[in-house]
Amino acid sequence: MSSFRLDAGGLVNRSDALSFSFDGKSFTGFSGDTLASALLANDQMLVGRSFKYHRPRGVVTAGSAEPNALVTVGAGARAEPNARATMVELHSGLSAVSQNRFPSLKHDFGAVNGLLSPFLGAGFYYKTFMWPKPFWEKVYEPLIRRAAGLGKVTLAADPDRYEKSWAHCDLLVVGGGPAGLMAALAAARAGARVILADEGFRFGGSMLSETVTIGGLPAQDFVRQTIEELATLANVTLMPRTTVFGWYDDMVFGAVERVQKHVSQPSADLPMERLWRIVARRAILSSGAEERPLVFGGNDRPGVMTANAARTYLNRYGVAVGSRVAVFTNGGSGYRTASDLVARGIEVTAIVDARQTAQDTVPDGVRVIRNGSIISTKGRHRLSGIITARSGFEEVISCDALAMSGGWSPIVHLMCQRGAKPVWSDEAQGFMAPDVGAGFVAAGSAAGVERLSDCLRDGAAKGAASAAALGFAPYDVNTPDVEGEYDPSFAPLWYVPGARDKAFVDFQNDVAVSDLGLSQREGFSHIEHTKRYTTAGMATDQGKLGNVATIGIVAGMRGVSPAEIGTTTFRPFYTPVSFGALAGAERAEHLRPVRTSPLHGWAKKNGASFVESGLWYRSAWFVRAGETGWRESVDREVRAVREAVGICDVSTLGKIEIFGSGAAEFLNRIYSNSFLKLPVGKARYGLMLREDGMVSDDGTTSRLSDSHYVMTTTTAYAGEVLAHMEFAAQTFWPDLDVRFVSTSDQWAQMSIAGPKARVVLSRIVEDDISAQALPLLGARTVTLKGGLQARLFRISFSGELAFELAVPAGYGESVADALMDAGRDAGITAYGVEALNVLRIEKGFVTHSELDGRTTADDVGLGRMMAMQKPDFIGKRLSTRFGLTAADRLQLVGLKPVEIDKEFKAGAHLLKENATPSMANDQGFVSSVCHSPTLGHCIGLAMLKSGRERLGERIHVWDGLRGTDVVAEVCSPVFVDPDATRLHL
Amino acid sequence: MALNLVHRHVLDDHISGFETGKNPNHLSVARRPVIFSVLALQGRDGDVGAALSSVAGFSVRCSGPGEWLIVSDTIGPEAAAGALAAIDGATFADQSDGKVLMALYGPSARKILAKCVAVDLHRDVFAKGYSASMLCCQVASNVMRTMDDQFEIILPRSYAGFVFETMMEMGREYALTAGFASP
Amino acid sequence: MASLITCPHCGVRPKEEFSIRGAAGPVRPSPSARQEVWHAYAYVRDNPKGRYQEYWHHAGGCRRWLVVDRDNVTHAVFAVIDATEWHKTAGSRI
Ligand SMILES: [Zn+2]
Repeated sequence: MSSFRLDAGGLVNRSDALSFSFDGKSFTGFSGDTLASALLANDQMLVGRSFKYHRPRGVVTAGSAEPNALVTVGAGARAEPNARATMVELHSGLSAVSQNRFPSLKHDFGAVNGLLSPFLGAGFYYKTFMWPKPFWEKVYEPLIRRAAGLGKVTLAADPDRYEKSWAHCDLLVVGGGPAGLMAALAAARAGARVILADEGFRFGGSMLSETVTIGGLPAQDFVRQTIEELATLANVTLMPRTTVFGWYDDMVFGAVERVQKHVSQPSADLPMERLWRIVARRAILSSGAEERPLVFGGNDRPGVMTANAARTYLNRYGVAVGSRVAVFTNGGSGYRTASDLVARGIEVTAIVDARQTAQDTVPDGVRVIRNGSIISTKGRHRLSGIITARSGFEEVISCDALAMSGGWSPIVHLMCQRGAKPVWSDEAQGFMAPDVGAGFVAAGSAAGVERLSDCLRDGAAKGAASAAALGFAPYDVNTPDVEGEYDPSFAPLWYVPGARDKAFVDFQNDVAVSDLGLSQREGFSHIEHTKRYTTAGMATDQGKLGNVATIGIVAGMRGVSPAEIGTTTFRPFYTPVSFGALAGAERAEHLRPVRTSPLHGWAKKNGASFVESGLWYRSAWFVRAGETGWRESVDREVRAVREAVGICDVSTLGKIEIFGSGAAEFLNRIYSNSFLKLPVGKARYGLMLREDGMVSDDGTTSRLSDSHYVMTTTTAYAGEVLAHMEFAAQTFWPDLDVRFVSTSDQWAQMSIAGPKARVVLSRIVEDDISAQALPLLGARTVTLKGGLQARLFRISFSGELAFELAVPAGYGESVADALMDAGRDAGITAYGVEALNVLRIEKGFVTHSELDGRTTADDVGLGRMMAMQKPDFIGKRLSTRFGLTAADRLQLVGLKPVEIDKEFKAGAHLLKENATPSMANDQGFVSSVCHSPTLGHCIGLAMLKSGRERLGERIHVWDGLRGTDVVAEVCSPVFVDPDATRLHL
Repeated sequence: MALNLVHRHVLDDHISGFETGKNPNHLSVARRPVIFSVLALQGRDGDVGAALSSVAGFSVRCSGPGEWLIVSDTIGPEAAAGALAAIDGATFADQSDGKVLMALYGPSARKILAKCVAVDLHRDVFAKGYSASMLCCQVASNVMRTMDDQFEIILPRSYAGFVFETMMEMGREYALTAGFASP
Repeated sequence: MASLITCPHCGVRPKEEFSIRGAAGPVRPSPSARQEVWHAYAYVRDNPKGRYQEYWHHAGGCRRWLVVDRDNVTHAVFAVIDATEWHKTAGSRI
C-alpha cells in the first residue's frame, strides 16, 4: 500500500482494514474511510474521465458536491452509477468502477475529443450535428450517446427492498455540523422534538476536519461528546446517512436514508434505502458552505482539489493528498490547509495568494507568492507542477497536489426550492439564503457566518429561538469557546486571467470559461439560457460547485454585479434519489391496494379465471374440464342461467345504508325517478343523473324500514356514488335528516338466477319465498336454515327469475357452497362477469358501456324514469335543454348481423349504406357486443341517431381499427323474452 | 336440511398455517370482534356520543363528526344491537363481517405504523384512547391508540389481505409476527 | 412529495386523503331558476390564479366535505371549513 496514509490521526480505525476494488484492482482501506479517501490513500488520484472531452479527472472535494469522482458502485442488478466516491462509505468487498472511459481509465479513446475541443464548445449539439438532417437520429445521436452521459443504469430488476415512512417533529435540523449540532442541542434541551439529519455517516461536519479545540476538547472529541448527549435525549432523533433533498408545501421535507448502502451483506429484513417525509413545525438549515474552486488554466488536472478537501483528507481520514502540495488561495482557508499539512510533516512547496496583502498565518518555511496566479498546470494522470505568473514573470513550481480556495458559498439550495431566490451579498461576496419566513431559517455558515465560534453561537441561538417560538421554556446554552480557529474570509476572485489551458467552471459538465464567453456572444446571456446552452450546473451537479463562479464570471463579462445576473432555479432533489426509494414498497403487485371478494375462495375452487375490475379481482368465467376456450365456458354458463339456475358473485357491488327521517326525501332528490312512495319491503331500480342532465349511475334501492334503506351501486361507481350523496347531503340539503354508511364489505352477495332459482334457494331458506311472499322487487330479511340472518332481494339483471342473497361476509363462502350442494341436481352453475354481461346484453340492460356520461335517460330508453312532476331532483333542470331532447340524439338500439355468421365488435361505428366513413356521416357506434348462446349469433347494443325510429333498417357496422364492415339490422335492444314473462315466474 | 355454515376470517389464508411464536412486536388479528357503525341523526351528535361512552363493554372509536365505530369483545352482536337501538337519535349498521380488527403492539409498534400512516403518532399528540379515521397502507381505516405501545386498526374486509401483507413487510425490520388473537 | 391539509375534524392530513371537486363558490340554483343560471352553475367557472375556495372531500378520513380556502400559487392555506358550516355562513364568503 502506497504511503499517502499517515501513521496516525483521523477518524479511521486502523485496526479494521477493509479490502475493496476499483476498476478490478484490489486495495485496502479502513473503516471510517470514504471510497475517495481510501483511493487517495492508495495513490489513486485519477478517478474518472470528464463528460465531454474525456479529460482525466481526480477527486476535487470531500463531500456531496463532488463533480468528478462519480463511480459505479456494485455489480449486476445492484450496480449504481454516479455514486460520489466522496460520499460512499467504505465497506469490505466494495467494488467500484470508473465511468466515461474506454477501454480503460488510463487509455481512453474518447480523449481524442480533447483534440477536437475547438469544435465541441457550448451549443455544439445544436450546430455541429445539424446536417444532413437524417444523420441526427441514425449517426450523431447514437455516437454522442455512447461517448457522453454519466454512467450506465442497469436494466436488471432491483433486488432490494425500499420503504417510506413519516416522521414528525417540532424542529428539523438539516446538517449536523457546528451550527446544526448546537441548534439541535439547544432546542432539545428546551424540550422540543428534534430531528437532526446529516447526509454523511458521521455527524460533525467541518469540525471533523479541523484541528481546533472546542470547549477544551479536540474538535472531534467535542463532536462525539455532543452526539452522545443528543443520543440520550428521548426527544431527539438522530438521522445519519440521511439527505434532506427537498422542501415541500406545508413544511414537509423529503429525505432519503441510506439504510444499508454501506453494508457488505445487506439484511433481507431491512430496506436498502428509506424515503422519509418529515413534517416539521420549524426547520433550521445548517448545511454549511461549499468551498469554491478557482477558475484558472488547467484547473481540472487530477491532484487539484479544494483546500478544504485536502484538509479533510488530512485531518479526518489521515490521508495526505500529495507529498509536495502547493496552495492557491484568495483567503484564509488556503493558509490553514498549508499549516495543517506542514504540522503533519508534508511539504508545502508554495502558497500562491491572489491577493496583494494578507494577515493569515504562514507556516514556517513556506514560500508565499503574493499577487500571484496560476496560468497552467502540468502532469498527465496526476499533477506534476503548476506554472505561476506574476508581473509577467512565469515560474514552474513542482508539486503533486494543489489545494485551491476561491472562498465560500453558503449552501442554500433547500431554502430556494419553493420559489425564493438566493440574495446576493456584496459584503460576503456570495449568494445568501432568502428570507422564507420564521419557520425555516439558515444557521451557521449556511447563513454566511464565517468563523467556527460564530457558527456554534449562531446555531445555539437559532435552535433556542425556534424552541421558544414553539412555546418551549427558553434554555440557555453556553456556547463553548474555540481555540485556534482561523479567519476564513476571502477576497473575490472569479477568474484567473492569462489561462494557457482550458479553465473549467463546471468540471462535471466540462464547461470552461470560453464556453461562457461564447454563450454571451451568441445571445444566450440570461443565466437560465447560459445554463442550458453551456450545460453549466446541470446533471447531478445541480448548481453546487461551479454555480457561483459561473454567475461571477458572466457578471464580469457583462460588467455588472452578480446580483444583477441572479441564480438559476433550485429544484428538488438536492442530490439524486433512486427510483427505488421514491417507489418504496409500492411496486409490482403492491402498487395499489387489491380488493378481494368474500366469495373469492369459492370462485377459485370452482375454477374461476379472475379479471381486474378497478381494485377488485372478479371472477370472469369458470372453466370446466374439457373446455378449450373462454367462450365455451361463458356460453355454457349463460345457457345454464336461461335453462336451469346459475350463481354469480355480486359482492363487489357498492352497498350503502341510508338512515333518517329525511331519507325518503333525499332519495327522491338524488334519483330521477320517484322514491317517496317506495313501500317497506320493496326494491326499486333507480337512475342518478349529473346536474347537467346526463345519467351518472344506476342501481337498486330497497326500503328495509320506514327510515332505513339500502342502496346498491355499480362496482365501479361505489365510491363516487357515496361521495356524491355525501356532497348533496352536506352542501345542498344539510337540513335533511339523512345519514349514510357504506356496508359494501359487510355482505357477501350472490345472484341466484334462472327458472330453477326459487327451488334451489328455498332449500336453504327457512322463510316462504314464493311469488306471493316475495314478489318481483321484494326485499326482506330472511333466515337461512340453521339460523343465519340474511337479506334477500328479488332483483334480476338477466331477465330470469332471480334473487340476490346477502349474507355476512364471513359466511359467504360457506353459503355459496351450500347453494352449490342444494342446486346440484338442478344443474346449478357458477357464472362470472362475462356471462353476466352476455345475459344483460341479451336483455338490453345498460351498463357504463352505454351510460358513458354522454347519455340521457331517454337516450337509453329510460325516459319514463324521469319523474318531472317532482319539484326538484339532481339533473332535472338541465335535462330539458334543447340539446338533450333533440330528435336526432343517439338512442339505444339492438343490432344483429344480416348474415348470421358475421360478427362485429364494440367500438365500431355505424354508417348508412354507401356512405364513406367520416365524422359527418357517422350515425353512431356499437357500445356492447357478445355472442348470444341463446340466439346462436352475434348481437350488439348500439347508440344510433334517432335509433328508435329506425328499427328494421340495415346499417353498416364499420370498424376502421380492425378493418371490418358488417351489415346489420337495427332491432329492439331486448333480444330475449321481450315480454318479460320469465322474470315473473 | 339444516345448514352447517362455517365462518371464515378473510385473513385465514394469510395466517393459518404460518403461525410462529409471538415476538415482542406482534400483530394480533381478532377472530370475531363485534363491530358496529353508529351514526347520529340530525342534531344528535352530542347525545349519541355521550350515550355511547356510557355503555359498558363498548370501545368507541371516532370515525368522523357524528359517526363512530363501536367495538366489543364482551357483548354479543344481538346485545350490542339492542344497546344501540336503545340510544335515542342513533342509527347503526352491523359491520362485524365488513371490518377487520388488528392490534399492533410492541416496543416498535409506533415505528412500524409510521410507515403505514401519515399522522403524528407521538403519545402527546396521538394519546392513549384517541382514535381517528385515516389512510393506513393506502386504505381508509380507523386507528386507535389503545395502550402506550399498542394500536388497533379497523379496516375494510376486502382490503385486509393487502394491508396485512404490507404491514408485515413494514414490520420485518422489527421481527413482527402475526396471529389470530386467542379468544 | 407531500402537502398537508388541516381537516377541522381530523387534524393535519396529507393531501392523499382528499379528493378535490372544484370551486366552492357556485351555489346550486333553485329548481325554478332560469336555464341560463343553471347553465352557469353547471358549466361556467372562473379559473383564478391566487386565492381560491375549493371543495375537498376527506375521503380517507372523516368523509366530510370541506372548503379549503387557499392560494393556488403558493399553496398558502387560509382556512379549512366544513362545507355545511361554510354554506351556513354564506355572508362571510370572500
Ligand atoms: Zn376529516
